[in-house]
Amino acid sequence: MLVLLILLPLLFGVAVLLRPPAAAKWWALGGTSLCLAIGAMLVGRFFANASPDVPFQAQGSFAWLPALGLNLSVGIDSVATLLIGLTLLLGPICVGASWTAIPQHRARLFYGWLLVLQAAMVGVFAARDLLVFYTCFEFTLLPMFVMINEFGSTNRHKAATKFFLYTFTGSIIALAGLVYTAWAVGTRATGVDGFTLDIATLTEHASHVLTAREQALVLLAMLCGFAVKVPLFPFHTWLPLAHTEAPTAGSVILAGVLLKLGTYAMYRFVLPLVPHAVLEHAPAVAILAIIGIIYAGLICWVQTDVKKLVAYSSVSHLGFCVLGLFALNSAGVTGSVLYMLNHGLSTGALFLLVGFMYERYHTRDMREIGGLGAKMPIWSTFMVFFVMSSVGLPGLNGFPSEFLCTMGAFISHTGWTSGAARHVGATWGPLGPWFGFAAGTGVIVAAIYLLAMVAKMVWGTLREPAVHHGEHDHHAGGPHLPVDLTAREIMTLLPIGVLCIVFGLFPTQTLIGAIESDVNAQVAFVHERSGEAPTEHEAHFAQQEHRQQRDAGRDEQIAGVKP
Amino acid sequence: MTLADTDLHSYLPILILFFAAAGFAVANIVLTFLIGPRRDGARKSVSYESGMNPVGTARKRFNVRFYLIAMVFLVFDVEVVFLYPWATTFGNLDPQSSHAGLWLFRILFFLLTTVVAYLYGYRKGVFRFD
Amino acid sequence: MTDKLALVWPEIWLFVTTCVVMVVGLSPDLRVRKLCGWISALGLVVAIGAAVPVAHAGGLFPSITPYAKGMIGVVGLMLLPLLAGTVDRDLDAAIESGKATFSALRSNRAEFYAFFLFSLTGLMLTASADDLIWLFLALELTSLPTYIMVTISTRGTRSQEAGVKYFFLGALGAAIFLYGFALIYGATGTTDLAEIAAAFRAQSEAGGLNTIGVAGLAVALIGLCFKIAAVPMHMYAADVYQGAASGVSAMLAFVPKTAGFLAIIMLCGAVGWTHGATHDSLPAPIYILLWVIAAATMFTGNLLAIRQSSVKRILAYSSVAHSGYMLVGVIAGPGSGHGTFWDNGIAAVLFYLLTYGVTNVGTFAVLASIQKPNGEEADDIADIRGLHGTRPHLAGAMLLCVLSLLGMPPLLGFFGKVGLFTSAISAGEIPLVIVLGLNSAIAAFYYLRIARAAYLEPADEHVETRAGPIPQRVFAAVLSASAVVLLLTVAQMLMERSVTASGYHAPHAGMADTPHEALDLTRADD
Repeated sequence: MLVLLILLPLLFGVAVLLRPPAAAKWWALGGTSLCLAIGAMLVGRFFANASPDVPFQAQGSFAWLPALGLNLSVGIDSVATLLIGLTLLLGPICVGASWTAIPQHRARLFYGWLLVLQAAMVGVFAARDLLVFYTCFEFTLLPMFVMINEFGSTNRHKAATKFFLYTFTGSIIALAGLVYTAWAVGTRATGVDGFTLDIATLTEHASHVLTAREQALVLLAMLCGFAVKVPLFPFHTWLPLAHTEAPTAGSVILAGVLLKLGTYAMYRFVLPLVPHAVLEHAPAVAILAIIGIIYAGLICWVQTDVKKLVAYSSVSHLGFCVLGLFALNSAGVTGSVLYMLNHGLSTGALFLLVGFMYERYHTRDMREIGGLGAKMPIWSTFMVFFVMSSVGLPGLNGFPSEFLCTMGAFISHTGWTSGAARHVGATWGPLGPWFGFAAGTGVIVAAIYLLAMVAKMVWGTLREPAVHHGEHDHHAGGPHLPVDLTAREIMTLLPIGVLCIVFGLFPTQTLIGAIESDVNAQVAFVHERSGEAPTEHEAHFAQQEHRQQRDAGRDEQIAGVKP
Repeated sequence: MTLADTDLHSYLPILILFFAAAGFAVANIVLTFLIGPRRDGARKSVSYESGMNPVGTARKRFNVRFYLIAMVFLVFDVEVVFLYPWATTFGNLDPQSSHAGLWLFRILFFLLTTVVAYLYGYRKGVFRFD
Repeated sequence: MTDKLALVWPEIWLFVTTCVVMVVGLSPDLRVRKLCGWISALGLVVAIGAAVPVAHAGGLFPSITPYAKGMIGVVGLMLLPLLAGTVDRDLDAAIESGKATFSALRSNRAEFYAFFLFSLTGLMLTASADDLIWLFLALELTSLPTYIMVTISTRGTRSQEAGVKYFFLGALGAAIFLYGFALIYGATGTTDLAEIAAAFRAQSEAGGLNTIGVAGLAVALIGLCFKIAAVPMHMYAADVYQGAASGVSAMLAFVPKTAGFLAIIMLCGAVGWTHGATHDSLPAPIYILLWVIAAATMFTGNLLAIRQSSVKRILAYSSVAHSGYMLVGVIAGPGSGHGTFWDNGIAAVLFYLLTYGVTNVGTFAVLASIQKPNGEEADDIADIRGLHGTRPHLAGAMLLCVLSLLGMPPLLGFFGKVGLFTSAISAGEIPLVIVLGLNSAIAAFYYLRIARAAYLEPADEHVETRAGPIPQRVFAAVLSASAVVLLLTVAQMLMERSVTASGYHAPHAGMADTPHEALDLTRADD
């Protein structure tokens, strides 16, 4: 079923390329909807069978390149399942959002790559092998590059190149770190014969074989790749550019899923592979995250371009996500995983709304346009709703995630290891109240800039651009759009809105309940493994022993062959 | 250490050959000078340049066939360099040994390549002097 | 002696094919002349067939020949359709329209194909070399025909300039590595590679390597840098690749490079990866030399490629950079000897050579398939702009090949690079891995330019291109692009073969004393 979810979009992508351009969007809609249906079944089946003893379901493996230790293996735990669900949900929504924005003669290129992108994203979440993960992780770059480069606005070439180079550079360094880990496990861990890229094996052994120094270096390498993707301050500069230039569907996917690849990779690799270094360096990462939260928030405050504002708000929000992750306690990590989902929903919806407005007015400058409340009531209603969700209004989905992340940072305390006096309610972790406090100011900043945006865009006197910014060549001859949202556009927003309310009102019954056991197991694992790393001497000794065992094994083999 | 202790005495024939060659050249010049008849003249005293008139620029264009012929000469000349040592040692081989056939096959293969070279030259028109 | 003959049957078949092509190519009948390509292909197929079953040969890398010769044959077969129609096109057209009659002296077809096969013969001989003299002769047989092929590949003065440049620098390179060979001979007293290895081993066990020997190795390696287009002998690459026809450039990017790497692997094998503090690296001077060359080559190639506007020059400098990547594998060495791919740098280099050769054909084939209005092949990046609109299959081929060269997963080139990554990490070369990673990222910059121009951007209005007259070249491009994907299905087999090929027969000090098994002609006297 998982493999089907990866292959099906690819097949539909080929179909899009082969069918006439007029049919492209129908094929894309069909493909993504079919995947969504299968995905719904997958999610349903997963949680019907979920039990804490079997964290990974729907596993499958195919030995492809044993010479490199590469198996095509997949499998999902609850976190991956939910993120796959998010990806699949955004698929038809993106197709619907691009229905009129993409000119027909280029539709095949757009929808073909959109489907490929979906396959790659599902692959990242489903991968149980390092190279499968890395392949899919890298392969998301190319469709996104094409989308920005071809369907973006004026500055798109620079944006596409910057996006590609930033993330490509980062992930190659991350690959070096991951391969180093795999090498260390393959040559030191007892019971592991040779090079393996199996994520489960690596997770089991990595923290036992990497010395403290190696863990720090591997952490640095992995952060190079994943922090760029998140993006964490100071690696965030590609994101506003890419978001501003990307077409609506591209922005939605970028904000909704691609950024989560970075945080998901941190959750899946950084925490369990190098727990010792994570514990040691978590405050540094958390400080970067907090700088990102406040700095990006302040930039948002002075933005006039509404899409750029939403883009910078992503940087700010993802800071919470990373902060929660590095709080290393149940509350923080749960909040972080919730954040991945909820940010995808609400920011994705905000990008959709900005895109719908842009399609009508061809400007995103808040000095030229505003006060749309009277003219576009439906649009404005959705706008206010999703801004509230993004701000973290209790009762909507943004609140539990933001609250848990901040609380996680607040109560996470090293007192547990140092033996100092413990705060009331404090749990084990490397951060502390000051981190929570600093992040909390970010919440206030977020409220300021988002509400200021709503005030300008929705309320006040109506401001419309004096001239329609010419006839954009993409739209020459395109269908004329009505003043307010069409039924198609409402259909793309409605499912997100419903989920926002459901996840907001019943977080414990839905999301938290689903991921609780996996997240707690992960936190307990990090907790257990972060205490001590092997010394260099031990690592060297383990390597010697491992080599002797392999040599012995080889001698036995040779002796066995000879009569 | 005396001369006899070294291997140098084995180079004696070469030394003799060297002196013989030098002596032959010197003897010829001296003998013609002594016994040859003398008929001097303007034409006789100009420097000899392969029968051509030694007047004019040295950067004269001449037929590209000279190059081709030079190349063909090299091909067949170098071939002899290989053939000669082969011929001198082949007789030493035991006709019954397995080496003999192999060595014969090798030189035949080598000669085949010269045949191909010849065919190539022929097709290319190197031997046509029109 | 007969064993050695069995080893070189592929070369003999290629040579026989060469002889046939040389004569057939001069036939007055155009249809017979056009058979040259097919005969060459047949010869290559037979050569592959003769190479693959040879299981074991002598020398330091006893099992290298089947893989290396098979690879050479396969890439050679892919190069053939790309080389089609490089020479004699004007002459054939004139004859067909009745304007001229056939003149053997003006036709270059026979020589062109014959030189191509000669060069591949030399390359295969390099793979089976077990002796310095043999190695030198094989390297020269590989290179000499390419000088002429560059010169006659187009009718412009540019390729003549390129040919002369290539020849003089090639002669310089040959002189340098020959000097190195002489010093090695001076230090060890033998030209047999296995005996040299034994002598070096004995020296290092006795206290230290002979300084002259190490100096000889260093000089020889620097000379071989010319063959692989590595710093400091890389200067010719851009001019020569640009001056030659695209087909010949593609050949230059594979044939001399492969010869150079085979020679470098053999020379490094002769001194062995058994030195240093932990007895698992090259001797310090050689190690430092190769390290510096590798890093400098990667940076030079990639940084210079960014500034170019000609696709051929970009590919030339990227070819320089790829040599740097592969040197990382050479530095890493054959690893633990457990017969595994991931810690074996030599296997990684051999695998990378195959992926690079296969992929590179495609990029040049795309260029060769497009013609500018003046009849020249496409060269500038503006010439391939808008390719997706007029010739989508070529644009797709360019995209795939360029992404594979970039190392984009899951294409073939990625796995080549992963092999280098893992082997270098196993050898503890973390800084070099970082350099390699950074350079892969720099390379993304110019590869993306090519990919974007071919696959996404609209055509410039004032640049006019049309389909080239040779359909075989389009076939070569499509073939290479499909190989980039389809070879993945047999990648496991290829990796296993490359591991077998890299099987390193480590020398032991006693070997130098074993009597030389040569034919003693004087014995038959009595």
